[in-house]
Amino acid sequence: MTRVVFGLFLRACVVLTGAAMATFALLWHAPGDPALAVALARYRTVVPDAVLDHVRAEAGFDAGYWPAFWDWLGPLLRGDFGQSAVTGRDVWPELVTAMSYTAPVALLALGIGMALSVPLALLATKRPGSWLDRFAVAIASLGVAIPAFWLGLLLILLFAVQLGWLPAMGARTTAHMILPAVTLGLGVAASLTRIIRSGILEARGKPFLPAFLRRGVSARGVQRHHIAPHAGVPVVTVFGLELAFLLEGLVTVEVIFSRPGLGGFLVSAISARDFPKVQAVVLVTALIFVTVNLLIDIIYRALDPRIGEQNA
Amino acid sequence: MRNVIALAFCFIALAVLAPILAPYDPAAINIPNRLSAPSADWVLGTDALGRDILSRLLYGARWSLGLAFLISFLGLLIGTVIGLLAALGGKWVDWFLMRATDTFLSFPELVAAVVIAGVLGASTASMIFALTVTSWMRYARVARGVGLSLQSEGYVIQARLAGLSPLSIARWHYIPSLLPSLTVVWTGMFARAILGISTLGFLGFGVQPPMPEWGTMLLDARIHMRSTPLQMIWPGLAVVMSVLAINLAGDALRDALSERVQDI
Amino acid sequence: MLTVENVAVRRANTLALEGITLSLAQGRTLAVVGESGAGKSTLIGAILGLVPCAAGEIAWAGEPVRTYRPSLVMQEPRRAFNPRLSLRRSVCEPLVAQGLPRDEARLSRLCQGLEIQPDLLDRLPSQVSIGQAQRVGILRALIASPPLVLFDEPLSALDAVTQKHTARLIAELQSEEGFAALIVTHDLGYAAAYADEIAVLKAGKIVEGGPTAAFIDRPQTEYGKSLRNAAFALGALEQVA
Repeated sequence: MTRVVFGLFLRACVVLTGAAMATFALLWHAPGDPALAVALARYRTVVPDAVLDHVRAEAGFDAGYWPAFWDWLGPLLRGDFGQSAVTGRDVWPELVTAMSYTAPVALLALGIGMALSVPLALLATKRPGSWLDRFAVAIASLGVAIPAFWLGLLLILLFAVQLGWLPAMGARTTAHMILPAVTLGLGVAASLTRIIRSGILEARGKPFLPAFLRRGVSARGVQRHHIAPHAGVPVVTVFGLELAFLLEGLVTVEVIFSRPGLGGFLVSAISARDFPKVQAVVLVTALIFVTVNLLIDIIYRALDPRIGEQNA
Repeated sequence: MRNVIALAFCFIALAVLAPILAPYDPAAINIPNRLSAPSADWVLGTDALGRDILSRLLYGARWSLGLAFLISFLGLLIGTVIGLLAALGGKWVDWFLMRATDTFLSFPELVAAVVIAGVLGASTASMIFALTVTSWMRYARVARGVGLSLQSEGYVIQARLAGLSPLSIARWHYIPSLLPSLTVVWTGMFARAILGISTLGFLGFGVQPPMPEWGTMLLDARIHMRSTPLQMIWPGLAVVMSVLAINLAGDALRDALSERVQDI
Repeated sequence: MLTVENVAVRRANTLALEGITLSLAQGRTLAVVGESGAGKSTLIGAILGLVPCAAGEIAWAGEPVRTYRPSLVMQEPRRAFNPRLSLRRSVCEPLVAQGLPRDEARLSRLCQGLEIQPDLLDRLPSQVSIGQAQRVGILRALIASPPLVLFDEPLSALDAVTQKHTARLIAELQSEEGFAALIVTHDLGYAAAYADEIAVLKAGKIVEGGPTAAFIDRPQTEYGKSLRNAAFALGALEQVA
């Protein structure tokens, strides 16, 4: 097992290195003069060539691809994400602030998703094919088809504009978290319901269950000790998918709710062509994503010994 | 389930027949008549420049569905080639291509697409590129999985012994076995591409105005959300309905092909 | 002339084959007999170049075997054909792959020799019986006139009557075509009836080998003796002895 974990860890490192190289290559080959973009964003006016040269030298744009890459990677490995090309301030503290806005919304959304999907899936699978089951399937299918930003706009329209119950724009109070979290949470609930439901149905179909029932194990006991763990394995792996869904949703949802979180940070950095910021968000997101998936992989192997040593 | 597939075809028919069905030119600006409510003349009302929303929706289907088809098809081609190369190319090719696949999966696809499209500059071409390079990985994994399982099949061993070229082996023995699985993956990716196009359009990184793409229409409509909320409903509903129809058609296809679908 | 010299094959840190030395001349038949798990299939894989050798050399007339394109008749005849392609397409695959012309006269002569009705080839693998499929498999193995044909348990998927029939057809075709045949089988009766020489494989090693008659008369090892006696007890060797 230690060897497997070590192998998975090594693979994650390779993947992160690849992600860093791909990000750098993308930004380096971005069309247009990056110095001009930075200068425009910084001074908000057309600047003389001397200033452009200064910006170019300061940002290391004139050094060529590989020197610039090593110049960037070295500090990065020490945890230094550099300075914003526009404001000149350190990127890292701004990133931490943005994450402090994003993390509670993401966790709340995950909580809402679980709180809705687990009971719905359990009720639905009590009698497969019943109207409740059909309803759950319909809701789940609909939920994964709705773009998060549109659902968010509809919620703003209803709860902020028409009813005036909740605030929509900004992040001043805790109440501001509710609508974005519900927007994302409904999406999470939809995909979780689908997966938990089919996990339970599949576990029910396992051949060992009738044998347990014949031997006098109570139906409730079978549900708790044999069906639940079987449904649990896919749920663990699905957290990787849910995380992807949350991160994808956050990009647009934070924009429509004007939240200064990671998604809003990313979109505004791209629009301002503030590449150090873009790099920082991309790499931190990749780090979170790869780490979570690594943990899931390890837990998955621990839960299901059959996978154990293979595929390492 | 047949109804669902019929519905999916209806959307495609609407996109193809847009010039016949659309009551107005989708780009015709009519400022005096801007932001008008639904009426007999303008069934779904008009937008901020007085353009007919129904006509824009119908033409928008061409952008949203047509580009989604293109993107998911390009992803299918790239992914199948990479997956088969990994399965057939030996240990090191496999290692390299699978780590490349993992690298592209090390990031939520849509976030990666937003970054790529945004950095390359907002245009339809960057959007197509961004969504394509982030959509081949699932195909590659499926193609590699099926490819590896086929390698121990008797007829593949016979073909190798006979000296058939790798290209012919792929053509005659791998691709026919892959098609059912890849088709099911493709329906899912088609739906994802529709969502991706509208998301990038909504963020301003996709199809540019005045083209009537659904996400771009939502971006316009959002500004006038308070005065004419209905404007915002239609393009979103179009996205949801088409994604739903394609997803359900994909589920039906998966059930129908379940015996022949491997490794999903 | 096939020569296998001191070949070893490694599988997951243990030796699946060790110190294998065999030779087989043009037109002759060698049977490798052994129980399941003795390494028979691995030996076939090594000779075909599908499994890498950890040591030793395999050659046909001094050159690597693969350049001579030996062919293989498989144990499970249906799995040897792509289920989506007609049998005719699969049969002609070696010709297409090696850029050889399609010789209709030869094809129909072989079909006749193997008692394959011409219309059978236009069916799919799932539409013929196992015995028919195996005869088509032999046809495919012979179509490009290879100097060496390997038979991996060619009879074990067939019923008793079909077994005898198919074994006789193989022997007749061999005397016409003159290929060298290496038959891997657990069936000592079959080996004794048709092979010129027998090699006994046990746990990855050749424990005994020599002309068939000599082996049946007087096995040199205890294991060889027990194999022969078991075959006698089943009545499999009666027609030979």
